[in-house]
Amino acid sequence: MRKIWLVFKREYLTRVRSKGFILTTVGLPLFGVVIFAVPLALATRKTDHTLRISLLDNLGGLAPQIAAGLEGKLPNGKPQYEIVRVWDRPSSEEQARQQLNDQIRAGSLDGFLEVPKDILDGKAAAFHTRNPGDFQTTAALSHAVDNAVVEHRLTDRGVHLDNVSKLVRGVGVSMVKVTKTGESEEKGQTFIVGLAVVTLLYITLVVYGVATMRSVVEEKTTRIVEILASSVKPFHLLSGKILGVAAVGFTQYLVWGVSGSLLTAYGASMASAMAPGASMASLHLPASLLVYAGLFFVVSYLLYASMYAALGAMVSSDEELQQVQLPVTLMLMVSFIIYPVIMRDPSSGTSVILSMIPFFAPVLMVLRIALQMPPFWQIALSLVISALTTFGILQVSARIYRVGILMYGKRPSLVELLRWLRYT
Amino acid sequence: MEAVAVEHVTKRFDTVVAVSDLSLHIEQGAVFGLLGPNGAGKTTSLRMIMHILAPDEGSIQVLGQPAGDRTQDLIGYLPEERGLYARMKVREVLVFLAALKGLSEAEATSRVHEWLERLGLAAWSEKKINDLSKGMQQKAQFIAAVIHRPPLLILDEPFTGLDPVNATLIKDIMLELREKGSTIILSTHRMEQVEMMCDAICLINHGRSVLAGDLRAIKKSYGKNTLRIEYTGDDNFLDLPDLVEKLNRFGAVVEAKLRPGADPQEILKAAVAHGVRLTRFELVEPPLNDIFIEKVSEEHA
Repeated sequence: MRKIWLVFKREYLTRVRSKGFILTTVGLPLFGVVIFAVPLALATRKTDHTLRISLLDNLGGLAPQIAAGLEGKLPNGKPQYEIVRVWDRPSSEEQARQQLNDQIRAGSLDGFLEVPKDILDGKAAAFHTRNPGDFQTTAALSHAVDNAVVEHRLTDRGVHLDNVSKLVRGVGVSMVKVTKTGESEEKGQTFIVGLAVVTLLYITLVVYGVATMRSVVEEKTTRIVEILASSVKPFHLLSGKILGVAAVGFTQYLVWGVSGSLLTAYGASMASAMAPGASMASLHLPASLLVYAGLFFVVSYLLYASMYAALGAMVSSDEELQQVQLPVTLMLMVSFIIYPVIMRDPSSGTSVILSMIPFFAPVLMVLRIALQMPPFWQIALSLVISALTTFGILQVSARIYRVGILMYGKRPSLVELLRWLRYT
Repeated sequence: MEAVAVEHVTKRFDTVVAVSDLSLHIEQGAVFGLLGPNGAGKTTSLRMIMHILAPDEGSIQVLGQPAGDRTQDLIGYLPEERGLYARMKVREVLVFLAALKGLSEAEATSRVHEWLERLGLAAWSEKKINDLSKGMQQKAQFIAAVIHRPPLLILDEPFTGLDPVNATLIKDIMLELREKGSTIILSTHRMEQVEMMCDAICLINHGRSVLAGDLRAIKKSYGKNTLRIEYTGDDNFLDLPDLVEKLNRFGAVVEAKLRPGADPQEILKAAVAHGVRLTRFELVEPPLNDIFIEKVSEEHA
C-alpha cells in the first residue's frame, strides 16, 4: 500500500506542478470567459449615443407610426433614436436615396429606413447604414415597422387601435417535463444538462485515459520502468499510476467546477438583463444524476484507463501510440456519436440495449438518467455488467502491462498478446 | 548463508528457452561476475533474482529468503539501459526511488544530499534530469542503486560512458561497499574489469552455465600456457605454427598461446636468432578474454 501511495503521489505531484496542467486548468476557464462572457458583455452594453436616422416613406403615411415605435430611451436619458427628417413620397425615390446616402457618408446621418410602396403586400423595408451588424437596432426597427404595417392594415379594414403591439404579441408553447414526482417546466435544461454531462464524461475518459497511456510509455522510453519493476509490483505501479492520473482529473474539475459555476451565474445575470424571463438559473443538476454519473465514471474510468495503460505497455515509442490507441478511442467515440439515438427516445429498446453495453454505458446510461429516469433495475444491471467487465479487463490489462513494460522492439501480435497472458 | 542461491532455474518465453537449468551460488561479500555473450540470458537471470520475473522451474533465494516482494528492498540495481524521469528534479527522482526501497522520505532526503555531495552533483540537485550530461545522469543513477545500502548490489555495465576519473570514483565506492559487507553482482563485457574486481564468475551461454567458480581457480586450471612478450625488432620470429596456437598483438605487447607440450625455450631461441631485443618474457595464465572466447566458440562449434 505504501508503494502504491508513493507512485500515486509522484504521478499526481509531477502532473499538477507541470506547466501543461497549470496552463489548461487556468487557461481553459479564462478562454471560456473570453469567448463567452466578453462578447456578451460588449453586445449588451447599450451605447450612449443617439442614432440619427431618417425615414424614406414611399408608401406615405406610415412614417409617424414607425417613429412612434422607436421611442426608447438610453441609460443616460437621451432618446435612443432621433428622427432627423421624414421624406413622405418624394418626387424622385432615386434622388432622395442618393441624398440620404451622401449624408450617411458625410457622417451627419447614421442611417435611413426605406419603406417600399408595396410594403403592405409583404415587401420588406430596408435599413441603409454603415453598420448593418448592430442587432439591437435591427431588432428595434423591424419591431417598429411590423407594428406599423399591422396597424395600417387593420386601419384599412376599419379597426382602430391604440396599442397594436399588445394585440399581436405571441405567447409560444412551453415544454413541461413529467417525472415520477411531479412536473417541471422545461427551458432546455434537460437537453443542456444531458449533453454537458455526456460530453464531459467522454472528454474526461479520453483525456485522462490517454494521459495514463503516455505516462506508461514515458516510463518505458526513459527505461526507468526497469528500476521501478525491481522495487514495486507491476500491479501496484499500475494502480498508483491510474489513481494518480484520476486525482489530477478531479483536481482539474474542481477548479473548473468552481470557476464554471461562477461563470454560469454571471452568464445568467447577463442573460436575464438582456431578455427578462429567459432565466438560465433553472439549470440545476439533480443529485441522483450526479451520484449515478460519479458511479459510472469511476467504473468506466478504471475500464478505459487500464486498457490505455495496457496499450502503452505494448509499444516502445510515442510514435506508435497513435495507431494502437485507435480501437479504444474509437469505442469511446462511438458511444459519443450515437447519443442522438438516446436523445430521441431514451426508453426505446435500442436505447436500453445500447446502455447495457459496458463500453458505452458510462456515456449512454448517464445520458438516459439525465433525460428520463430509467427503471432502477436497468441502471443496476448496466452498472453490474460494467463493473464485471472492468474487473475482467483489469486482470487482462494488468497482465499485458506486467509483461509489456519489459519488452522492447516489435509490437506484439494478437497471438503474442494471448501468450503474454500466460507468462508468470 | 549465501547472498544468492539459484537452484536449477529454467525460464521460457514461448518456444525460446532464455535460461536453462541454471544454478548460481554467490558468497556474501563477494564480487561476482556474471558473464556471457549478448542474448545469453544474463538480463533474464538478473531479473529473476530481483523478482521482476518468476522462474518457470527451480528456486531462487536471496540472503536466505525466497526471492519475492520482501527481498526486492534488499537489492540495489543499476540496469544497463539507463534512464530516470527526464522532467523531474534530480533530488525528487532519487528521493522517490529511495522511498520505493523502503526509506522514509526524511531519511531519503538527507542521504540523497550526502551522495550528491560525494559524487560532485550537489549543485545539480534542483536541476531537471534532462539538464544533466550523460556522465552526470549515470552517477545519479548509481546513487539510486546504492542509496538504501543494499546488502546485494547488481550492476550492469557500471563503467560505460564514464571518464577515468569518474570510473575510479565508482570503483572505489564499489570496493568500499564490499568492505562493509555488500555483495556485488557485476555484469559486463569488459573482461579486464572482471579480472581486476571479481572473486568468482559464471559464464552463461544460451541460457546455460558453461563455466563457473572462483576466478583464480578457473584461470589456474588452464595452466600457464600463454607467453606475454614485449620486444623491439623483427616481428617474424613468432612465426612458429608448431609451437604457437594463437597470437594476440596489443601494440607493444604480444600474447602467444602455446600448443600443448610446446617448450617456451624454443621461442626464446627463435627471438635470439632473429636478433630481437626482449624487454619482457613471461609465462602466464590465459587472459579471461581468451577463456571467454574459447568457451563461447566451443559452444557454437
